[in-house]
Amino acid sequence: MATSSRRVVITGMGALTPIGSDLAAIWQALCDGRSGVAPFRAFDVSRLPCRIGGEVPDFSPRKALNRADPRENAALKGMKMMARTIQLALVASKFAMADAHAAPGAIEPSRFGLEFGATMISVEVDDLMEASRLSSTGAVGQVDLKVWGREGIPKIEPLWMLKFLPNMPACHISILHDAQGPSNTITEGEVAGLMAISEAVRILRRNDADFFLTGASDSKMSLLSMSRHSLFLSLTKRNDDPQRAVRPFDRQRDGTVIGEGTGILAVESLEHAQKRGARIRAEIVGHGGAFDVRRDGTGLATAIRAALQLANIAPGDVDFISAHALGDPELDRIEARAIAQVFGVGESAPVVFATKGWTGYLGAAAGPIELVFTLLAMEHGQLPGSINCENLDPECPVRVHTGGLRPIQKPYVLKVGYTDMGQCAAIVLRRFDK
Amino acid sequence: MNTHRRRVVVTGKGAITPLGHNVEQLYDAQIHGRSGIAWIRNFEASTFPTRFAAEVKDFRLSDHLPNADRWRHAGPNTHFALVAAKEAIADAAIPAGIDRTRFGVYLGNGDGSNDFPNLISAIARAAKPPETRTNPNEFFDAALTSFQPGHEYELEMHTTAGRLAQIHDLPGPNYTCQTACAASSQAIGEATEIIRSGEADLILSGGAHSMIHPFGVTGFNLLTALSTNNDAPTRASRPFDLNRDGFVLGEGAGIVVLEELEHAKRRGAKIYAEIAGYGTTADAYRVTDSHPDGRGAIACIQMALRDSGLPPTAIGYINAHGTSTQVNDRVETLAIKKVLGEHAYRTPVSSNKSMMGHLISAAGVVELIISVMCLQKHILPPTINYETPDPECDLDYIPNVAREKRVEHILSNSFGFGGQNISLVISRFKD
Repeated sequence: MATSSRRVVITGMGALTPIGSDLAAIWQALCDGRSGVAPFRAFDVSRLPCRIGGEVPDFSPRKALNRADPRENAALKGMKMMARTIQLALVASKFAMADAHAAPGAIEPSRFGLEFGATMISVEVDDLMEASRLSSTGAVGQVDLKVWGREGIPKIEPLWMLKFLPNMPACHISILHDAQGPSNTITEGEVAGLMAISEAVRILRRNDADFFLTGASDSKMSLLSMSRHSLFLSLTKRNDDPQRAVRPFDRQRDGTVIGEGTGILAVESLEHAQKRGARIRAEIVGHGGAFDVRRDGTGLATAIRAALQLANIAPGDVDFISAHALGDPELDRIEARAIAQVFGVGESAPVVFATKGWTGYLGAAAGPIELVFTLLAMEHGQLPGSINCENLDPECPVRVHTGGLRPIQKPYVLKVGYTDMGQCAAIVLRRFDK
Repeated sequence: MNTHRRRVVVTGKGAITPLGHNVEQLYDAQIHGRSGIAWIRNFEASTFPTRFAAEVKDFRLSDHLPNADRWRHAGPNTHFALVAAKEAIADAAIPAGIDRTRFGVYLGNGDGSNDFPNLISAIARAAKPPETRTNPNEFFDAALTSFQPGHEYELEMHTTAGRLAQIHDLPGPNYTCQTACAASSQAIGEATEIIRSGEADLILSGGAHSMIHPFGVTGFNLLTALSTNNDAPTRASRPFDLNRDGFVLGEGAGIVVLEELEHAKRRGAKIYAEIAGYGTTADAYRVTDSHPDGRGAIACIQMALRDSGLPPTAIGYINAHGTSTQVNDRVETLAIKKVLGEHAYRTPVSSNKSMMGHLISAAGVVELIISVMCLQKHILPPTINYETPDPECDLDYIPNVAREKRVEHILSNSFGFGGQNISLVISRFKD
């Protein structure tokens, strides 16, 4: 059976990021080294320890979706029952379909799948305001559950829970685009998006679908999410210098900032893409996953080797590596060591592209958004210099490319991802030549 | 079907459920028709619209694991997963010396439960009348001083699969998915595909969940999805019965060891069953309702059968999703009849949820484990509380009393809130 030889290509992308929501603007910000990290505007955060972050600017579902289209209009009407993570996802899915030149109805619904990444989506505290006032006793941590059950519950919107279930981005996107094929939501922390894309590739290869929207969405711009992540993420103290705050692999790095965004790719079998005359942005030739049991980078090295092996290439074939690199003192070091395990440390090792300086932490959406950055670089044939890595940490044995645009010469690019727990993911892209 | 592809078998299983702390207790309760549903004890629920659920009884982590205090920040889902994984790994008797980089994890997992009392009191302190919105900084002050960082971190869904990989040394691919009630079946299906594709030889798969907490019951009550039969909790879950009025929440975990066939044979493993077919589709219809004609469910069952290479007539028992909601049970019956045709009327169907409630993300794997036990013990569990036939649900639901029957192939369905449909075909292993 020929399924294992089915090739998988990327034919569209949509992204909403702290450095812009159209591809030209994103590329310009990457070339200019202009970070999207700034003081938070979503609400007054003066009492949070970290008061800067990467917000998606000027996000407006009303501007992005078309009222005259019945499906888009239904999505707009449903927006009030969608957390911001879901709203961002719906809009980016439209961008990805438009970029793929896939008109409504152009993809056979039963062969149209969704593989999406998400993390926990927090409740909106305002939705629980009335119920909380009624049932709180006034003492810290004291709630009268009898009052909550009797008087609190009726004060909450009937569809409240649907606003934040993690599979709701995929659910709403499937309805908007009539995608009735395989559908999954991967909730694997910061590698969720990359793992979702890997799973889409696997499904396309085994011929259970022809076309996927795949990627991830993540926003922490709610009071509860901001509080929770302020408690367990390692965040920078550089509130006064947002542009230079997140410093992957730099000796002075001291943590990340909370960002948000969505990246969605249209991914399909080569045969399907060629049949419909799609423009092919790149080919996905390898993927790998692993777990870093000892947190020394061995797991990430395993994932990278698995991806290179599936791609059937040697480390020397890789032009550059798009890193995960949060700017976290410990995790950046582990990641760098993993890269060095596979590629060595000399001049022959591929350069590293680290982009969290532009965006901060992106949760599940990190991988897909950074793949969009990577695809833009591949198409321009030029790699922008990573920002804020001014003094490379000698503990991070990688060659970070800084400064101006660098010509891309080799056809293969590696994307990696890493979680605080130790989950690792790697994806290999190839420039598409007919 | 690709006859050359790698085959995937079940070589270990573990479960902690409302019907006991291991697989044997679970299956024994199932075939004796014992209900695990009772008044909620996890929290004070006496004024909630629904006051009962199927809780895991007498659970203390320290009875199962040394150093239980190490997991004090983790949610009940992780606690349950740790216990079920311990049973599954012991059952699989995996020898030292295997290539551990080929051993991964794939869970369908829920989140831990929010710090309800501290969250509600933080909102109340930050939203004092006459304010119409919560004051951000008042809320941050309250949250940052009362929340436990360790607990907040362990709420995240990927932590459970990470903890299992850490304590059992599983450096292979590590996945978590969350497709509501379909999650652990989907995890097993996709884990099977990872092994088939050659990316791993062994995967610890399944799922864990508890939504028997104030937010879980509040949310499902608001959606009017739960039974409110507070007068007779043990009779509340009545799948396919005319008078069903919603599902009953359960909790727990099920874990299986999935293994590539040749790998299992080489090490002389006990082979319990084969994962022969997997189907996955989406309704793409509505957020709250499944498609009335069962469009997605039909395509899903057909896909699983196609993947198994079996004709519909080969199916000897259907382990239904059978939630006991009006819509699910009607649509699922419709889909079974559409795919199996006349054979549907000759095929026994039952819902394990009639006894153990709905384990949400963990439901699918626990039902798969029960199905595997059916292949071994030749006794099919009944649907209890089946009293009044529904004209729209006219199949053989194994009413109230277990049935002796040797079957070769079982279909297990899981349909998730939000439209994700999963079907698995589980077969007696034949070389």
